[in-house]
Amino acid sequence: MDFSYLDDWMEEEAGEAIEEVGEGYRHVWVLAEPAGGAFLPATFEAMGQARQLADQIGVYVYGVLLGSSIEPLGQELAAYGADKVLVVDDPRLAEYQPETYTQAAAELVDRYHPEILLLPGTPLGNDLAPRLAQRLDTGLMSHCSELGIDLAERLLQGTFPVFGGEMHHTVTCPQARPQIATLEPGSFRIPYQDTYRSAEVQQVDVELSDASGPLQWLDLDATVALPPVPLAKARIVVAAGRGMGDAEGFALVAELARALGGVVAGSRGAFDEGWIAEEQIVGVGGEFVAPDLYVACGISGDVYHYFGLQDARFVLAINPDENAPIVKLANMAIIGDARQVIPAWLEALAD
Amino acid sequence: MKIIVPIKQILDPSGITFRRDKERMFINREEYILDPGSKAALEAALRLKEQADGGASESGWSVVALALGEPHADDALREALAMGCDAAYLVTDPAFKDADISVTVQILAAAIDKLGRPDLIVAGRESGDTGAGQVGARLAEALDYAGITDVYALAVDRSSVRATRRWGTGYAAVRAPLPAAVTVAPEAFPPRLPHGARIMSAYREWDVPVWGLEDLDLTEADLSPRLALRREGFPPPLETGEVYRGDPDSVAQELVIALRLQKLIS
Repeated sequence: MDFSYLDDWMEEEAGEAIEEVGEGYRHVWVLAEPAGGAFLPATFEAMGQARQLADQIGVYVYGVLLGSSIEPLGQELAAYGADKVLVVDDPRLAEYQPETYTQAAAELVDRYHPEILLLPGTPLGNDLAPRLAQRLDTGLMSHCSELGIDLAERLLQGTFPVFGGEMHHTVTCPQARPQIATLEPGSFRIPYQDTYRSAEVQQVDVELSDASGPLQWLDLDATVALPPVPLAKARIVVAAGRGMGDAEGFALVAELARALGGVVAGSRGAFDEGWIAEEQIVGVGGEFVAPDLYVACGISGDVYHYFGLQDARFVLAINPDENAPIVKLANMAIIGDARQVIPAWLEALAD
Repeated sequence: MKIIVPIKQILDPSGITFRRDKERMFINREEYILDPGSKAALEAALRLKEQADGGASESGWSVVALALGEPHADDALREALAMGCDAAYLVTDPAFKDADISVTVQILAAAIDKLGRPDLIVAGRESGDTGAGQVGARLAEALDYAGITDVYALAVDRSSVRATRRWGTGYAAVRAPLPAAVTVAPEAFPPRLPHGARIMSAYREWDVPVWGLEDLDLTEADLSPRLALRREGFPPPLETGEVYRGDPDSVAQELVIALRLQKLIS
């Protein structure tokens, strides 16, 4: 699709719209993460936010791809809102090297001057963003759960949780450019995938230092004991109890956890049934969790279980018995059989 | 082997009540603690030293704690000494009051230069209060060190650091040459309790040098924060005790809307 008329139109408009501070800095960029040839959902969440921000200030959304043999992925970003895609395809970017990636991204920024740069808050994004912000001598709003534009001053406003989510701070980066933010995965909606959209994909050559980066990627050493999926850190925990009936019922819980991007856990009852491992038991003698959302499916919620989840921000109980303890303790309760409610929920999520 | 651990003192969250309905934060007890992220960093650094030399600091290993903060951050440094650090330094100046992360990193980098650049910097992945998770990686860039973030297991030899870190949706193992800066995951390094006898000597016997702006050859004009705080806010009060019943399909529809409104699911 030819967007060149938009260019002409925006060139005319831009003169008065741009503040002195951000002179010459325009457009919203997303540094997409092509992890092993497919994007993580967090990249699409960032694309959706970039689209909304760009529409408010009348600029383009650029997807930026760093890697090796990744050009075919470019069009996929168009479906999620990119107007243009910049691709740096270089064998030296095949594996993540903080220095090399910083160099490539900083070079692109120096050349094209984006106004706003968003990165998904994945391990890669959280590693690269501070390094890049330091190199560019600009501010970074990290772990944002909400983004907005102050239209009067044409400033990005990033909101992120502090004190473990009890409070929010909203900050801006008034002088330095670009304004960089990382987006906490799972905090934003994935936009509608419009496969009819297309974008101009542009290959860009960047000077990279020839030496391969200092980081050496090794095979994981199986003898090093790693904490299992950190249940205690999960943002969403979906837990099963005896009320799920059988393994088939439990499979629904696992499916719900997947759909919500959460972690599966359960009561001691679920462990006794053999559905979950010992590390997945929530409660006294098991794990203590503190997610934003705890979904208790078919768990009556005795006091031993409840101790393990009392730091959850929001507890949702699905239980057929309205006198079950969990129903009284939950922030929200659905009186019904979880084996019927979960499939309906999955369907509603897909809409 | 010299390791510097940048640490932070934070307001004790257990002394604060957050009232979402009143949109206010009440400080019931103004007490300061050593940040849990910093404690994990100290633990990780001390374990490296112990694994290498069985705890004997004569053999050329030193773990140095460095805090930027108010004068009362001295207590956090004494705690670091009591945990087993060999030395501790406090950087404090009224001019640092409005420091954001950029300024913090600038000051820490200047202090690290003055201390003599270490082989390894170990920092917490993020602090327990503002939790931005930037200082470690920014320091690596500022000092031109190799950097590894979000580390769950750590080992060093003469010339390199080997780490198991969070990566993608799982973990990965990487090796980086020294000098390097790493940030550690608090859940992987539960900190030791300070040694009883060392708590006493931490106050009686050790000096904690205090440096200000001039000691670091900085002037106030050098410090320019990049971020500006617009406002503090509170998540909306959570709906409580709502009970849904009836047909699963319509309940599910309502549920998804309600959870999305609360920003609990996307």
